Amino acid sequence: MKKRAFVIPVIVLSLAGIILTGCAGGEATGRLQVYANGEDFVRQGFVSKDGWSINFDHVYITLADITAYQTDPPYDPHSGGDISGKAAVSLDNVYTVDLADGDENAPPILVAEVSGAPAGHYNALFWEMIKASSGPAAGYSLVIIGTAEKDGRSVDFTINSNEECGYSCGEYVGDERRGILEKDGTADLEMTFHFDHIFGDADTPMDDDLNVSAIGFDPFAGGGQVDLDMAEFHLGHVGEGHCYCECN
Amino acid sequence: MPIKWKVIAPLIGILVLGLALPVKAFAHGASIKYTVSTVIELVASYDSGEPMAGAQFTIYAPDDPATPWLTGVCDDEGRFSFAPDRSQPGTWDIQIRQAGHGDIVHIPIGGDAAVTGGGGGYSKLQIGLMAAAVVWGSVGTALYFSRKRRA
Repeated sequence: MKKRAFVIPVIVLSLAGIILTGCAGGEATGRLQVYANGEDFVRQGFVSKDGWSINFDHVYITLADITAYQTDPPYDPHSGGDISGKAAVSLDNVYTVDLADGDENAPPILVAEVSGAPAGHYNALFWEMIKASSGPAAGYSLVIIGTAEKDGRSVDFTINSNEECGYSCGEYVGDERRGILEKDGTADLEMTFHFDHIFGDADTPMDDDLNVSAIGFDPFAGGGQVDLDMAEFHLGHVGEGHCYCECN
Repeated sequence: MPIKWKVIAPLIGILVLGLALPVKAFAHGASIKYTVSTVIELVASYDSGEPMAGAQFTIYAPDDPATPWLTGVCDDEGRFSFAPDRSQPGTWDIQIRQAGHGDIVHIPIGGDAAVTGGGGGYSKLQIGLMAAAVVWGSVGTALYFSRKRRA
């Protein structure tokens, strides 16, 4: 009996030590969140470069293969190419989100979050816009539904795109630095979509590159359903930071 | 006023003035100090080539990449310069933004960029339990072998 009284605790504590050692030997981790943001342009509406006051009811965008990277040296979207990093966190699912969801002061849309992401600086992000297989945007990667008004005329529109594009982006550029994940902490990244690149912005000088390259709303003023060639526009960003884009 | 004060008062005034007014230094008194530093100059422009005049810049140092190390505004030519702290080798990140446009550049300074791992480490609880396991195991083993054998 005495012998057993010693042997059993020895075995139990030894196993506990082994298990704890194994647990602690893992890397530091935290929670990484990924948001999608159509900015105030989508939430509050805006005036296009050709004078249409546009408001959005729904902006459905379908996202897949979302992957956050820790790159060193940092990924350069101006050079393009694939992203490679010392750590990567991938979201396996396909997500259709409505960027116009909520009121005019609504926060960006939380697409997904990952617990157990390796700590570090996530300074690159990749995602694809793909055609939705079901739901309100089925068959399209982007569906924009809203109303535009100009000179007393009101147009209900639905703009569709069935193009699939991959966006390879560097670090988020904005008011705050994002993507720095500390042990047991939370960090976030953002896929930012600049719809003023399609319609232009009356508040921006007409000779600004943005308005020169934007097509305005006139091409859609006939209403109904119109297809959009996404390859012409740099829709996807990380904050104000640019992305390398390939569409097919 | 006695004459003595008529003389002394102006003398005191001259002396005070002499202390207050700048004087020429002796020609042979010289002091030369110098600092060797690396100054990095950046020029920001739009894709069109137009300078980002008045754009805001934010510099992040390697030791604390979440907190701005220095902020400021570009000049009319979209230009600014700074001297990084050489005691912080690694990648210095500089973000430049204006009116919804922005970019970030990464400049390695002082050799290889500092790389820090996200070391896991052990918690106090884990350390305590592992120590207890080792001690108990040693004591238990010793007692096991030192037990009296039955005849």
